[in-house]
Amino acid sequence: MAVKDDLKEDTKSKQAKTKQPKEEELSEEDQHLKDELEMLVERLNESDHDTEFYDQCLKTLKDFIKDSTTSMTAVPKPLKFLRPQYPVLTEIYDKWTKNSNHSDVVIKLADILSVLAMTYSDDGKKESLKYRLLSSEIDDTIADWGHEYMRHLALEIGETYQEKLGVDEDLIHQLVQLSLKIAPFFLKHNAEADAVDLLLEIECIDKLPEFVDENTYARVCLYMVSCVPLLAPPDDSSFLNTAYSIYLSHNKLTQALTLAMKLDDPQLIKQVFEVTDDELIHKQLGFILSQQMPSFKYPGDNEEVQNTISNIKLHEYFAYLVKELNLLDPKVPEDIYKSHLENAKFGIGTSGSIDSAKQNLAAAFVNSFLNLGYGVDKLIQTEEDNKSWIYKTKGNGMISTTASLGSIHQWNINDGLQVLDKYTYSSEDEVKAGALLGTGIVSANVHDEIEAALALLQEYVNDPKKILQTSAINGLGIAFAGSSNEEVLGLLLPLVSDLDISIEVSSLAALALGHVFVGTCHGDITSTILQTLLERDFTQLTNKFVRFLSLGLGLLYMGKTEQVEDVLETIDAIEHPISKTLKVLVNICAYAGTGNVLQIQSLLQMCTAKPKDDSEEEKKLAESEEDAAVAAAAAEGAAEGSSTDAAAPDATETADANDVEMKDSEDKEETKKEAEDKKDASATTDEEEEELYQGFAVLGLACIAMGEEIGQDMSLRHFSHLMHYGNPLIRRAVPLAMGLVSSSNPQMKVFDTLSRHSHDPDLEVAQNAIYAMGLVGAGTNNARLAQLLRQLASYYIKSTDTLFMVRIAQGILHLGKGTLSLNPFNSERTILSKVSLASLLTISVALLDPKFFILSDSNTATSHQLLYYLTPAIKPRMLITVDESLNPIKVNVRVGQAVDVVGQAGKPKTITGWVTQSTPVLLNYGERAELENTEEWISLSNALEGIVILKKNPEYMEVDN
Amino acid sequence: MPGGEGFGGNKKKDDKKKEKPKYEPPVESKFGKKKRKGPDTAVKLPAVYPNTRCKLKLLKLERIKDHLLLEEEFVTNQEAFQPTEAKQAEEREKVDELRGYPMSIGTLEEIIDDDHAIVSSTAGPEYYVSIMSFVDKGLLEPGCSVLLHHKTVSIVGVLQDDADPMVSVMKLDKSPTESYADIGGLESQIQEIKEAVELPLTHPELYEEMGIKPPKGVILYGAPGTGKTLLAKAVANQTSATFLRIVGSELIQKYLGDGPRLCRQIFQIAAEHAPSIVFIDEIDAIGTKRYESTSGGEREIQRTMLELLNQLDGFDDRGDIKVIMATNKIESLDPALIRPGRIDRKILFENPDGNTKKKILGIHTSKMSLAPDVNLDEFITAKDELSGADIKAVCTEAGLLALRERRMQVKADDFKQAKERILKNKVEENLEGLYL
Repeated sequence: MAVKDDLKEDTKSKQAKTKQPKEEELSEEDQHLKDELEMLVERLNESDHDTEFYDQCLKTLKDFIKDSTTSMTAVPKPLKFLRPQYPVLTEIYDKWTKNSNHSDVVIKLADILSVLAMTYSDDGKKESLKYRLLSSEIDDTIADWGHEYMRHLALEIGETYQEKLGVDEDLIHQLVQLSLKIAPFFLKHNAEADAVDLLLEIECIDKLPEFVDENTYARVCLYMVSCVPLLAPPDDSSFLNTAYSIYLSHNKLTQALTLAMKLDDPQLIKQVFEVTDDELIHKQLGFILSQQMPSFKYPGDNEEVQNTISNIKLHEYFAYLVKELNLLDPKVPEDIYKSHLENAKFGIGTSGSIDSAKQNLAAAFVNSFLNLGYGVDKLIQTEEDNKSWIYKTKGNGMISTTASLGSIHQWNINDGLQVLDKYTYSSEDEVKAGALLGTGIVSANVHDEIEAALALLQEYVNDPKKILQTSAINGLGIAFAGSSNEEVLGLLLPLVSDLDISIEVSSLAALALGHVFVGTCHGDITSTILQTLLERDFTQLTNKFVRFLSLGLGLLYMGKTEQVEDVLETIDAIEHPISKTLKVLVNICAYAGTGNVLQIQSLLQMCTAKPKDDSEEEKKLAESEEDAAVAAAAAEGAAEGSSTDAAAPDATETADANDVEMKDSEDKEETKKEAEDKKDASATTDEEEEELYQGFAVLGLACIAMGEEIGQDMSLRHFSHLMHYGNPLIRRAVPLAMGLVSSSNPQMKVFDTLSRHSHDPDLEVAQNAIYAMGLVGAGTNNARLAQLLRQLASYYIKSTDTLFMVRIAQGILHLGKGTLSLNPFNSERTILSKVSLASLLTISVALLDPKFFILSDSNTATSHQLLYYLTPAIKPRMLITVDESLNPIKVNVRVGQAVDVVGQAGKPKTITGWVTQSTPVLLNYGERAELENTEEWISLSNALEGIVILKKNPEYMEVDN
Repeated sequence: MPGGEGFGGNKKKDDKKKEKPKYEPPVESKFGKKKRKGPDTAVKLPAVYPNTRCKLKLLKLERIKDHLLLEEEFVTNQEAFQPTEAKQAEEREKVDELRGYPMSIGTLEEIIDDDHAIVSSTAGPEYYVSIMSFVDKGLLEPGCSVLLHHKTVSIVGVLQDDADPMVSVMKLDKSPTESYADIGGLESQIQEIKEAVELPLTHPELYEEMGIKPPKGVILYGAPGTGKTLLAKAVANQTSATFLRIVGSELIQKYLGDGPRLCRQIFQIAAEHAPSIVFIDEIDAIGTKRYESTSGGEREIQRTMLELLNQLDGFDDRGDIKVIMATNKIESLDPALIRPGRIDRKILFENPDGNTKKKILGIHTSKMSLAPDVNLDEFITAKDELSGADIKAVCTEAGLLALRERRMQVKADDFKQAKERILKNKVEENLEGLYL
């Protein structure tokens, strides 16, 4: 506080001056004022006057203080001169209270003392507040003393409240009463932030709605909402709830709905719908809701509204968008590879003959990303089916290639299923499997009553052929992501618990369930997955697919913060080393998007390498123990002469629970040497297994930090440290995490770093960095990224896998020819979409081991099909304006960079550097649109994003020029 | 293209395309642009808005602090567990090996792309050379000195100037000893300059709360010896901001165009070291009214002023730079220079009144050893036209007189004599003026 600082300064200089023999000389005026004030104090000190006289004195005193015009740099003169008299006045006050014969005057004196105490605030006695409370009866005059005093009072209230909470209930009550008087003053005087802060201090934020009126509510709510990501629970949800009720009471339904979605409370969402009967507004609410939770069941019975929520017409609007933007011509991958621009220094014929099937597969992926949602392409859907691109790939590649048809027809269920239909009768299992997966992809984020995908896929869920089965499972997971569909639960849950089927299928089923029930804390699934983990054979748990089992569990608790505690406790019961990984994974999902610093701290601690000698010592210790155990086992075996089947597991448990390999040791005559060998092998796998949780921890950093802007920025600094110090697994995870934090937000500083990592000697780090580069620029067509990727393509021309990754990144960069986005935040970057984050996280988890999953050539296990898990995260980044009958109309809008206007005085502009365009338009990251002609059109939504219904202003008159 | 052979179906179209591949301009190299010095964008801390004092700002700042603490913890732990010093030394050795020995020094002329540049060596010829990958490209900018390999002449390092020579000239390394306490009177002037110059730098939120832009600069004007420069010194003493001081006449240079360039550089330096205060003394040296002139020198001076006008309120936002000017001939200044927006506050310094004189005298005599018979009050009568500087001169003169007589104390008599002398000189000055 400026004035306070100056006060201190002043006192200091004063002290300095009093050391000098001469007092500071005052001008005549000042001297006069000082004398007068001193005289007043003196008179008050004389005890023989009557109350009337004192009253008069106090009144003069008060006038003096009030009349002084203060400056920003100096203390008001009366206060300055009265400061030395303060102790005298307090004495007078004490005297008077003892006599207690002039109560009214006493109160008035207390009033003045309270103001004077401001100058004595250094010693932390909070006398200002003390005297304020003592003079509480004439509180209608508090405001007389001005803003600075009120602020000071608010400060002392906050401090006292924290001190006395639970100690002095009476005082607390008084404080609350006082605060409730101060808050309206703040609100009236353009200090909404102060009002909110004060009420937060005294934990009465729920009282706020009484005080705000229509002039202040917008600023108050804006301030509150921007505080939310930084507040610790439970303050954050109480802030949201309060803001919600304020919006609701001021009939700002779209804002209220946004907050209700942020709170993730279906009850509140329903409440928003119930406020009004206006069908049009319901539709607008539906459009907003559709981005976040397309499976929401509309409480009313209007089918059209339900259709808007369920994205039924999304493909039509998207088609309109691309038509208007003149993007209808299908593109082939070469259009974005632009190999003629590639640096051809690695020999002519850049292709080389290496593994063209893999590159053809890449082309299929790129094609599907590029033409996503367009319904036409030039690669897969050629006229002659037998020459189709599908047969230019092999094995699993055919699945993905066929499934890409689903992507091309994204959101358009009718056409998509029709196209895929013929492939479902294919004699080749791969093509059939691809068709199944494609069926799932087509219907992602779109939910009609028929749910055709479910009908088509359910019969294959238990198909004996594994590729059909897994494809069907993945298809279900993608199609019903975030829908909490109970039928899917019934289909997939038995697969999770069935111990006889392969762990891969179980894991994928769990993953699909995780996506379907993301963030629901579904009890049955939780217990089933945990049960599976407990019952499955230890060896099976080392299978790499188990991480999806864990991830499935984690996704269930996405964003649920503390509700996860019970599960974590249960996980402790699992003795396998996987429990640690599992715990980390579940934890990061639970705190995703919160920005919780404590969680980040614990994750960073996990990534801290153990001191070398320590771990070695540990190892030695373990070894010696193991030796002993082996010896014991051998002795036992020798003695009993029968099996060590029982003894061996015992030994492992006693020696080292982490040692899995030991269990297989059947050989009774196991020599020590052999045991040593095994130990070495197990040690390395152990290490990797142990490190795995570190990889998740890094991803977790991204998930948690993405919740608020400061975290996003600061996490990049953490990542650079991790890259510097981390072990290979951490280094592999860092690019992925960077991609997660700024998906579809191509910032120079991020992709610059990534491009540096894309030349890392560790090929897997490079591959992940390349993928992350794609993710960072997803759907933006960013020219610089495109150039970097082209350079990478020629650089890695000899490395098939990396080239594949480059192609994928190029495809993602040009997602939907630059009309789509992978950013997991909706509604002006305020709400985290769990479905989107789950999708992005799934790919990232898979890419922690790129060789085994996405880049694997295996024909049996699921590999690059996992990439289609991106589908639920894909959203058009469009603004389409529609009229009252939901037909698109063209309106001029201004599009510009959004400005943070929180806490600024007046009515600042919300966008900067705008360009006027006619709808439909694409919105880049961090951009905001405004209607140009607000007189003619009224927008039903506060934020111009997605599909917005416009109403003609009935009072609008066309002005003739 | 792998898979390129597969575009059979579209061969026709493909061929057409291959004939005439669309030209795409290469994306500009991101290095080599002159950029403002300052912390690297990658390590810069996020900016915190709003500026008003509120919980939100506190929370944001606390969040940043938390993250920084985490970083510190992580780095110290890692350093403790796996020291990187040895590794770094090894890497350094490797780099040194690559650099070769001896290295020559050249100037970077232009950057072609991410890996190539044109350099000129001191010998004369210019070379097109490659930039080694281990060179920090962020430091490269046209005109900087670089280390060149002795054989391949490729760039192997950047030589950094730690301090710009311009800054060392004008920047105040040692703050003056005069503080506000050394100023007698001038209360309102101090307050005004504090509001206009200091507060915007220390408490920008006060202005934002009010929704106004803080003043950009002030001009101090008034008769000679009234304490304009003294006040500026006090500001420099008080502030922790960069304080650049120049005299108007310094901006007049020998060569054409040097004056305006110097002017630009001053403000550039000020912007790099923001927040900063630029103090231009005797601004009338360059800031006089524009008029038709045939003399090239005068036109140059006027151009310098035009540059100054632009720097004060031009197209670029200069950010946290406050300008203080001082002159004793405000009426001769160009009106464009002191219009609001460039100079928002004009602070008048008047000759001190009786009371102030007393204070000034008190300040000057406080360190002198005075004889008990000295009564300071009687020296100051309201009638004398004495400025602050005159009073100081009186004190000095009195001291000198005492010294002449080898006394250890200054007596009242000395003061009397000194005052007479000073007043006489003053009158003579005035008389001279009359004769002219």
